[in-house]
Amino acid sequence: MTADGSVRPYYQPVAERFSRMSPEELEQKVRSLELLFLKQGVTFTVYGDQRGTERVFPFDPVPRVIPNHEWEVVEAGLIQRITALNLFLYDVYHEQKILKDGIIPSEVVHSAAHYRPEFVGIRVPRDTYIHVCGTDLIRDRDGRYLVLEDNGRCPSGVSYVLENRAAMKRVFPQLFGSSGVRSVDTYPADLLSVLQYIAPRKTAHPVCVLLTPGVHNSAYFEHSFLARQMGIEIVEGRDLVVIDGFVYMRTTHGLQQVDVIYRRIDDDFLDPKVFRKDSMLGVPGLVDSVRRGNVALANAIGTGVADDKVTYAYVPEMIRYYLGQEPILDQVPTYLAWRPQDRKYILENLPNLVVKAANESGGYGMLIGPRATKAEIEEFRVKVETQPRNYIAQPVVYFSQHPTLVDGTFEGRHVDLRPFILCGETTKVLPGGLTRVALTRGSLVVNSSQGGGSKDTWVLAD
Amino acid sequence: MLSRVADHLYWMSRYIERAENIARLMQVSVELLLDSVAFGSQKSDEYWTPVLAATAMEGAFRLLHPDPAPGDISHFLTLDERNPDSILSCIREARENARTVRDQITDEMWAELNALYLLVSSQTGVELLERSPQSFFEKIIHSSLQFDGITAATLSRSEGWNFLQLGRYLERADKTSRFLDIKSQHPNEPDTAVDSLQWGTILRACSAYASYRRVNGSEVTLEKILELLLFSVEFPRSVRFCVRTVDQMLHAISGTPTGQYSNKCEKLTGALLAKLNFAAAHDVLEHGLHEYIDNLQVALNEAGQAIYETYVHLPQEYTKSISTSFILDPIGAMQQQQQQQQQQQ
Repeated sequence: MTADGSVRPYYQPVAERFSRMSPEELEQKVRSLELLFLKQGVTFTVYGDQRGTERVFPFDPVPRVIPNHEWEVVEAGLIQRITALNLFLYDVYHEQKILKDGIIPSEVVHSAAHYRPEFVGIRVPRDTYIHVCGTDLIRDRDGRYLVLEDNGRCPSGVSYVLENRAAMKRVFPQLFGSSGVRSVDTYPADLLSVLQYIAPRKTAHPVCVLLTPGVHNSAYFEHSFLARQMGIEIVEGRDLVVIDGFVYMRTTHGLQQVDVIYRRIDDDFLDPKVFRKDSMLGVPGLVDSVRRGNVALANAIGTGVADDKVTYAYVPEMIRYYLGQEPILDQVPTYLAWRPQDRKYILENLPNLVVKAANESGGYGMLIGPRATKAEIEEFRVKVETQPRNYIAQPVVYFSQHPTLVDGTFEGRHVDLRPFILCGETTKVLPGGLTRVALTRGSLVVNSSQGGGSKDTWVLAD
Repeated sequence: MLSRVADHLYWMSRYIERAENIARLMQVSVELLLDSVAFGSQKSDEYWTPVLAATAMEGAFRLLHPDPAPGDISHFLTLDERNPDSILSCIREARENARTVRDQITDEMWAELNALYLLVSSQTGVELLERSPQSFFEKIIHSSLQFDGITAATLSRSEGWNFLQLGRYLERADKTSRFLDIKSQHPNEPDTAVDSLQWGTILRACSAYASYRRVNGSEVTLEKILELLLFSVEFPRSVRFCVRTVDQMLHAISGTPTGQYSNKCEKLTGALLAKLNFAAAHDVLEHGLHEYIDNLQVALNEAGQAIYETYVHLPQEYTKSISTSFILDPIGAMQQQQQQQQQQQ
């Protein structure tokens, strides 16, 4: 809605359709959506007990609509940003010009938890590090899209984008007819092209696999969904073996060479010979094989240095440095606790700031000053003082609300947006993305692990 | 196909078949005692004892219930999570295997199995079993058959299909032979009404009653029952039919012509099939039914083990170099690591 309370023109068809539905009809549609997700097993796992409980990701039927002119800006901004991030990663793992030129202090990079000095000087296929990126955006009170964080390691959620759309089409078919909603169906095929593009062996059909931590991981549904959609094998570490520097998978008919691994496990667990020795999920010798260029990983090892929340503060500088452009998308002002003046400011203003751990995701390790208790604030004061490298702070951004169905009526709830970007031969942004909604009134935390839900996101064609 | 995937498919269908067979055995047993005693009563537990023996879980039950109360056995066989072979546990295992290889099975297969799991693990399932045990068992049986039909109608006849059939038919052979054994373990009163009633129960538990009647009329003799349940070439639940299917599937996987073998499981299954092809009921009776079935079970277990060794087991030279011997609970540790992986949600 606009400030004067009228419905934005591009929401007109959706608003009309919903207003024509009786509460009973709506209720019945919502129930059939939930049932659909449950039956199809579109779930994520909540940990707690040994077995882990499967939950349906709460889904709100009111779609978020983005007109084309808005989307074009977002898309251009995201492409610009991921291009700069990939150039930054290449630079950091090779000449380190940006550090030598003093644009980014080298301590920032060298102290990042996910920086992998072992990979300095190692070429990766096509010089691309982040192939799949999920960038979180919010809209501020002025309607501007701001980048909140870049997820350049193992971003998840794209399966919900595709499943949400499929479910909406089944339950609200009339909504789609004349709306001109851009399709999201090509994502799996696009992802597969990206994987094939980085194959070291130039064969007609390089063997690509998806490496999952296993069935107990919260995102296992997504792993299995993507593998099925791409028609590739989903493998666990124990299915792979490295012999003479090449990676093979164990099949009923012997060993088959693997060219590309879309991995959904952390760097730390990839190879017990190089990283964590106790990893039971990895493949001994995998890193050596990557170094020799016999197998490609998506995303590459060491991308975490780019989505570190301290690095984030420097992304606008990166864009200017590598591309000679002004950033198209703004981001949230960020105070870095390791800079003395910033730290002083943070410590003096804790009740008004959001404090985040530099390497956490999923809404964990976070303080929302205005909502926090005294004890929580004091806890973070100690953390910021003792581990300044690990914390950043940002002003609270009251990001936009969106009509959401709550107990049969429509109420405003805070939403963010995670578009997915693929970098292969070309860079593509999936039109739409995952709109996450904080279902609790007033809450700013949209993560699925903490009471968040999702919406279908419509990018209009014209 | 990945070896691990083959293993999951094999166990998925084995567990569905197991749940179906336990459900059918319980269904006919309930029918048998329906007039005289109520489900879950003290008296009914006596009827369940042979059923318990047929599922090979008697030892586990006695451990859990040294002094069983009424209803303990039927609960143990249906919804007890502590029994790894209860109907609930079998369906949960089948569904967990399916979830792991969701990319390899069709959406329709998944939907059927998942719906069954959601039912039996819910309060609705518990209430259905209490209110109408027969409907509960019927639901399990139908869902298993439906799953089989959906699989036949939607899944490509590639290796995955072959492994699914291996699991289903090995399990079926095992259960048919075990059900036959119920009778040999309980001294019969030959030629009495009770006796023929019990044989009728076993035939029904193997879904063989109508087939038997069609071939043999109303006369019930042990020899004819054995001919049907062990040696029939036509009846799809006979041991011979099952072993023949297993043999065909193994040859489809390896590409070796039938009548020859290229690995241990083909050798064992082929030899077993030859024995079944050239045996008759009177050989069994000469040998002793119980001993015969014992030997059969050993042969079936060896075939299952050989399948595992041939297609699934990690050859020694490729096993991990990491030492996990110091980890007290490797499975738990692995689950924990799987959960730790950041998925940037």
